[in-house]
Amino acid sequence: MKVKEIMKKEVVSLSKDTKIKDAFGKLLQIHISGLPVLDENLRIVGMFTEKDILRAILPGYLEKVGRFIYEENPKIIQKKLLDIQDLTVEKLMRKDVITVDEDTTLCEVARIMLTQNVRRIPVLDKEKRVIGIVAREDIIKAYAKEARWITD
Amino acid sequence: MDNRLIFKFIILFFLIFLVNIISLGLSLNSTQIIALSIFSASVFATLLFWDFRVAIAFLGIALLLITKTVDLENLIRFASLEVILFLVGMMVLVGLLKESGFFAWLVTIIIRMRNLNARKFVFLISIISALLACCVDEVTSIVFMVAAILEICDYFEVEPTPYIIISVLSTNIGSTGTVLGNPIGILIASKSGLTFEDFILKAFPLMIICLLLTILLVNLWYFKSVKELDRNMQRFAANEMLIKLISVPPERQLKIGLGVFIITLFFISLHHRLELLWKLENNTLLLSIPLIFAGIVMIWKWKRARQYIEKDVDWWTLLFFLLLFAKAGTLKYTAVTGIFAKKIASLAKSHPLGLTSIILWTTALGSSILDNVVLVAAFIPVIQSFKELGFVLQPLWWALLFGGCFGGNITLIGSTANIVALGILEKERKIKISFFKWLKIGLIVGLLTTFLVWLALIWHPLYH
Repeated sequence: MKVKEIMKKEVVSLSKDTKIKDAFGKLLQIHISGLPVLDENLRIVGMFTEKDILRAILPGYLEKVGRFIYEENPKIIQKKLLDIQDLTVEKLMRKDVITVDEDTTLCEVARIMLTQNVRRIPVLDKEKRVIGIVAREDIIKAYAKEARWITD
Repeated sequence: MDNRLIFKFIILFFLIFLVNIISLGLSLNSTQIIALSIFSASVFATLLFWDFRVAIAFLGIALLLITKTVDLENLIRFASLEVILFLVGMMVLVGLLKESGFFAWLVTIIIRMRNLNARKFVFLISIISALLACCVDEVTSIVFMVAAILEICDYFEVEPTPYIIISVLSTNIGSTGTVLGNPIGILIASKSGLTFEDFILKAFPLMIICLLLTILLVNLWYFKSVKELDRNMQRFAANEMLIKLISVPPERQLKIGLGVFIITLFFISLHHRLELLWKLENNTLLLSIPLIFAGIVMIWKWKRARQYIEKDVDWWTLLFFLLLFAKAGTLKYTAVTGIFAKKIASLAKSHPLGLTSIILWTTALGSSILDNVVLVAAFIPVIQSFKELGFVLQPLWWALLFGGCFGGNITLIGSTANIVALGILEKERKIKISFFKWLKIGLIVGLLTTFLVWLALIWHPLYH
């Protein structure tokens, strides 16, 4: 089975000029943790996820200083939230996006998700335009159907 | 490859070409020219291509072997595995310390200080930065300190920059206090035979004096900022909420982690006595104690052992050091350093005090631009050659240590601690310090503390 048979073809996306505040609104609205960021030619320029927001508001030295517990909310978080709300998505998004082409096999997509630790992968056509998106759920659903765990 | 990179490569080749011309002027033979060119290439690479330094070191070592400039046996001998293993052992122990909540403990001892005011705060962060740099390496120490200062300054709503700078200055000064503080400390100890005790008796007191001078200087320099912090500390009164800001994960873990570390330090401090008692070669125990305790930790926490080795040990830097030492050793092997030693000695008119002064000021100014490990690695074989010229080496080793560490304060790229601290500040608070803003206070502290050391090395019989 190829990824084009199971991918979602209506791709909801963000533009790189979308403000962080609005981008988060969109994530909330469609109950999703991340969206691809496309340019006007439908080419992918980044991936914006909730994790990018967390990364922007928490200190970057967390992993370097080892274990500790925040007992109070540091004031800086409020300030950072204010600072980033009007920034554009371009500033926080991940720019090295993992993509697959439409003829990639399901198992290869699954392999990439597991090894690269990504949830959602944009699917590109020959001209490198985004024509769909595949999530972890879609892969497992396809396998589950094959194994008759679930029916349509 | 972008234009800047090409431009840098052109500069690199030009500099190596310059080294070649100088080598010909010194009438070096072809093997000596190769050894010197390859070593200089690594030195310039640290300046021009920080990210490529390991790659360039790999190529350099391969070239040394292929051109028969050095044989395999000597290359391995010069690589100074003992220094690398010591650093690996210490890094594993610091890894244990990190995961047991050492950072949180550090923050709490600062904020739980009774009647905390701005002056006390400046004093406290300077002393802790310096002492911490004495016990763990300066890079780990500065990450802890910068994180603590950012959290505390955030609470008091003041700009953290002055306190970060104060902490960095103190860290570089503190890193001379023991053999553990800076990779050059253990490198010098291992090559000179100086013991932990020598460091405690001779380097530590001088470090403390220089630190006190620095505290005085920064208090004057940052007078306004300290006053503002004082106002805010009163405004946010007491530390009730602050005390709860950050807490230590399981207290028992911390106690064990700290315990293991302190016992290690205790045995390291006794290494010379024990070596005398057990008739061991000088510094055998200094180098093996971190391995013994790291070994015990890895048996005790065997499930995490691989993580300690893979994550907590900075292999990238250590590999660079290993190859760098091998290349510097080749300079000795090909007798290049002997030639330099003679030139420097004649420059000092064979006067011991003149020589000490030259070494101190050259390393101080040199390490304000270059990585101090690179500089010290190059100087060690030169200093060893002075022995053959009949000089007493001890003051020269101290000059090398203090020059190499204090010079790091002069510019913002002077030491790894500076680069790490300013990197975090820029990333977390979007504050970028200009070269000249740093240079003003850096130069004052760097030159005055080096001057103090110079006086001590020249006048005090302890260092002769």
